[in-house]
Amino acid sequence: MTSRTGFIDRNTILHRLNPAMKLCALVSIAVATIVYPSWRLSAIVLLSILVCFRLSHVPLRLTKGRMKFILTFAALMLLLQIIVIENGSILFYLLPQIGSLGPFFPVTDFGIERGLDIVVRFLLIIFSSILFVSITDPTLLAYSLVRIGIPYRYAFSLVLALRFLPLFDSENNIVRMAQQSRGISLEVGSIHKILRSVRYTFFPLLVSALSRVDSLSLSMTGRGFGYSDKRTYLRITHWSPSDWAILAISVIFTIFCFILALGLLPQVSRFL
Amino acid sequence: MLEARHVTFSYDGIQPVLRSIDLTLQRGETLLITGPTGSGKSTLAKFLCGFIPRIVRGECSGVLSIDGDDADSLTLTEIARKVSLVQQDPESQICTLTVSDEVAFGPENYLIKPEVMTRLVDSSLASIGSSHLAGRLTYALSGGEKQRVVIASMLACQPDYLILDEPSSSLDQKGILQLGQILSELKKKNLGVICIEHHLEPFLPSADRVLSLSEGRLFPWAQDVGRRGGPFQNHSVLPIETDALASMKNVSFAYADRPVIRRVTMAIHRGEVIALMGDNGSGKTTLLCLLDGLLNPLEGEICLGANSVKRLSKKDIAKKVAMVFQNPNNQIFERTVSREQLLTLDVLGLKESRLTENSGARLDEAGLAEFKDRNPFALSHGQKRRLNVCSAVVHDPDLYLFDEPFIGQDERGQRFITNTIAERARTGGACVVATHDLPFAAEYCSRLVFLENGSLLFDGRPESVFHRLEQTGRPEYSLGKVAS
Repeated sequence: MTSRTGFIDRNTILHRLNPAMKLCALVSIAVATIVYPSWRLSAIVLLSILVCFRLSHVPLRLTKGRMKFILTFAALMLLLQIIVIENGSILFYLLPQIGSLGPFFPVTDFGIERGLDIVVRFLLIIFSSILFVSITDPTLLAYSLVRIGIPYRYAFSLVLALRFLPLFDSENNIVRMAQQSRGISLEVGSIHKILRSVRYTFFPLLVSALSRVDSLSLSMTGRGFGYSDKRTYLRITHWSPSDWAILAISVIFTIFCFILALGLLPQVSRFL
Repeated sequence: MLEARHVTFSYDGIQPVLRSIDLTLQRGETLLITGPTGSGKSTLAKFLCGFIPRIVRGECSGVLSIDGDDADSLTLTEIARKVSLVQQDPESQICTLTVSDEVAFGPENYLIKPEVMTRLVDSSLASIGSSHLAGRLTYALSGGEKQRVVIASMLACQPDYLILDEPSSSLDQKGILQLGQILSELKKKNLGVICIEHHLEPFLPSADRVLSLSEGRLFPWAQDVGRRGGPFQNHSVLPIETDALASMKNVSFAYADRPVIRRVTMAIHRGEVIALMGDNGSGKTTLLCLLDGLLNPLEGEICLGANSVKRLSKKDIAKKVAMVFQNPNNQIFERTVSREQLLTLDVLGLKESRLTENSGARLDEAGLAEFKDRNPFALSHGQKRRLNVCSAVVHDPDLYLFDEPFIGQDERGQRFITNTIAERARTGGACVVATHDLPFAAEYCSRLVFLENGSLLFDGRPESVFHRLEQTGRPEYSLGKVAS
C-alpha cells in the first residue's frame, strides 16, 4: 500500500527496523557527507542505498516524474561544474579547435572531480531521504520519538501535519476549480492583481484550515488528549539487536568521516 | 443522568444563543433535537460536553451535571470520558493516518493497556459494522466511512453519553439507514444518545423523544406537513427539447490509476431537473466537475450545446454553467457578502443593470440582504451555502450544477435552494443536483441518474429508477423510504 505521505507498506527487514534508528542513520549519512565531501565515499554509500531500495521492494521509477527531474537536475549540475571550473589538467575541450577558432570549454580533471563531488552527494542525500520516507511508517516514527524522550505533544504534530497535508492539497485543488468555475483567472499583471490572486486563493484556504483547527482541537480534547503526561500506544516500536548494530555502524561511519576530514588518516583518504 | 439546568449562553455577551435551556437525558435514552440553522443546536452540544465555557468562550450561566456530579467540579478530560461529541464535519475530527490508530487515539490517551486496546478497537469498529476499515488510510476513506470511523473512535472512549451533531450530513442513503441501526444498538448498550438532525425520518424509530430548538429555546417537536413547501411541485415544467444543453459521450476519468468515471453517456435538456444519485464515492462530484470543464476526461467528449468543452475558454464555460461545490469556505473569495455575490458579474464583464437588480432580490430571498456588508466568512454554514448559490447563479447561466446543496440547510434554506433550481428549469435552463436527498429527487426532479462505481447504472424518471433500484436489491432507495 502506497500512501500520499510517501510511505510504502511492505513487510521487509528494512521496514521492520526501528523508525528512530532509521532517522539517526539518515542524519548520520547527511552529516558524514557534508563533513567529508568525497564522491568516491559518497558513491559507495549511494550504491548501498540503491541496494536497500531493492531489499525493501521500493520501486525507484527513475524515468518517471519527480525522479526524472532529480536526475536531469543532477546532470545539469555536473555539466555546469565541468564548464565553469577551468583549474586542473585539461583532458579535452567540449568545443575543439576548428581552424583558427577555439578551442572552447576545457574539461579538466579537477572540474570533473568537483562536479562529481557535488552531484553524487546531492543524489545520496535525496535517495537516502526517499528511502527513509518510503520505509518508515510516520505514525510509528512519532511514537518511537516519544520513546526516546520527545514529549508526545510535539511528536504528534508530525502525525497531524502528515494527516492534513493531503487534505490541504485537495482543498487547494477545489479552490482553484471554484475560481475557474466563476471565471476567475489568476493574474499577475500588476501588484494589485497579484495581491488579488493571492487573496482569492489564500483566504478560502486559511478560513477552511482555521475552522478545521477548531473542530480538531475539540475532537482531540474530547478524546482525552493531554489527560496524562504519558500515553499508551496500540502499536509499539521495539529496538532489536539489528537496530543497535545499524546505529553503531552509522555512528562509527560518521566518526570515521570526521577523522578523514581532519586529515588524521592520510593513507586512507588518498583512496577516498 | 445528563442534566442541563437554566442554561443561557452568548458568544458576544449581547445576542443570546441559548436561553434558559433545561434538558435531561437518561442512560439508554435516545433524544432527537432538530431546529433551524443557527438556532443554537451545536452550541448546546458543546455545552453538554463541557467545551463551553472551558474552550469556547462566551457569557455562560446554568448548571451541567453528569450522573449527579456538578460539571464545574470535573476537568474537561473527566467530562470527556463520560460525554463524547461527534461534530458535523468528520474530516476535521480525524487526527491520525490509519483507521485503527484513529479508533485507538482516545484509549491511548486514557492509558488503556495495548492488549485491552486491541479488543476495544475491534469491538468499536464492529459495533458500527466497519471492521473491514481497520487497516485503511484515514484520508482515503469516503465521507460516510469517515463519519463511521469518528463514531467508532468516540465509542472506543467508552462514554456513557454520546452526542451526534448532524451525523447524516456526509452519508449516503445506505449509510443513513445503517446509522439509524447504530443508534438502536447504542440504546441497547444503555448509552444515552442525543442526535441533532435536520432530517429526522430515519432516526425516529429509535428515538424516545424529539425536541425542537428554536431561537435558543427548546420545545416539543411537532411534525411539519411539507419540508420545502414552495411552488414547484412534481417536476417537468417544459417540454423536453431534442437539442441537448450539455452532453457527454463515452466519458471516462481516473485519478492517477483509480478509475472514477467509466464510459458515461448522457444528455441534459432545457427544462430538466436531474438528481444525480449514488453511494459515497460513486463519482457524482467528479461527473459535475467534468461537465463544468474543470477536469479533462481521459476519453470521450463533453459538449455545451454544440461546442466541445475543450474548445471553450473557462470564462465562456462560466457564462453558461454555474457550479456550487460542497464546502462553502472553498468558494468564497470577496470581503463582503454583496461583493462576493457580484464577483462573477465583475469577472465576466456582465454588470448589466438587470442582473445587478436581480441579485439584490435573490439575496433578499436567501435571507442574506441584512448581511450584505458583512464578511461572508462570518456567516453560519447554512448562510454561506445560500450565498454560494446566490453568487454562482447571479448571471443566470443556462445550467446549474449543485453538489449536495442541502447539507446543513434548515427548511428555509432548502426552500430557497429548491426554488432557485425550479426557477431555472421553469425559465428554460437545466439543473443537475448531486444529492442523497430522496424526497427531493422524488418530488422535485424530472429525471434521476444513478451512478455506481463511476458507471451510469440507471437513468429515467425518479419513480421508475427508484423502482428498479428496489428491484435490484437496494431497499435503501425504495419509494417507501421517501414516503416515510
